[in-house]
Amino acid sequence: MALETKYEAVITAAKRSGITDLQVREQDNILYIDGTAPSGDVKDQLWSIYNTIDPDFRAGDLILNVNVVLGAGSKAKVITKSSNLNIRKGPGTDQPIVGKAAHDEEITVLSKANDQWSLVKTDSGEEGYVYSQYLDIS
Amino acid sequence: MKHKTFIWSLLVLSALQFANCKSKEDNSATTTTTTVDTTVTMAPPPAPVEIAADTALETGLRDATKEFPDVKATTEDGEVTLTGNIERDQLPTLMQSINSLHPKKINNNLTIK
Repeated sequence: MALETKYEAVITAAKRSGITDLQVREQDNILYIDGTAPSGDVKDQLWSIYNTIDPDFRAGDLILNVNVVLGAGSKAKVITKSSNLNIRKGPGTDQPIVGKAAHDEEITVLSKANDQWSLVKTDSGEEGYVYSQYLDIS
Repeated sequence: MKHKTFIWSLLVLSALQFANCKSKEDNSATTTTTTVDTTVTMAPPPAPVEIAADTALETGLRDATKEFPDVKATTEDGEVTLTGNIERDQLPTLMQSINSLHPKKINNNLTIK
């Protein structure tokens, strides 16, 4: 319960900003917050609050697993820092690169492979898997 | 004198009976509380937190740290330990990635530049 008090601002913001499937559980002195965010902005806001409470995420007492929903057919923007995003044959960095999406490019999400990887298609017809962390719904 | 003794005995008797009644009430109250407590305990506990196996974590960490060549990530019993160097503005991106792998805990021992 003490950790829920420490991270109360994160939990309150998650409830107010439309996080779905929200779960807040404390186990072995670690707080686990899971849910699905309606946008990258909402996710970033929660992380910004987390960083304020625990600067540079040093305490190791919270696992904040909030992912942006990437629905099939939705458009997503490539949010790499500046580089291109690799499109791979399968879901994993051990898979061969079959194409690239540029920074800020808009691509179409075809399906979600797992929590980390999505199957996408670019406007130029390149199809393959990308790391979902670098996608934001527009 | 006899009359006085009789009254006293009556008083003592009624006092005793009152005490008995009270203790009975107390007993029944305790029983009720116990029943309520049992009901509460029987409510289903929340599902335990899902912790990924080390092999799954290792694969996930390899993908998550691909863009961060100066970061080293190791895992043991679901606990992820990060060492090496990172720029502060890149730390949230890395941490968001690792938090979604279902680790038990993350020890952030990174040197932040």
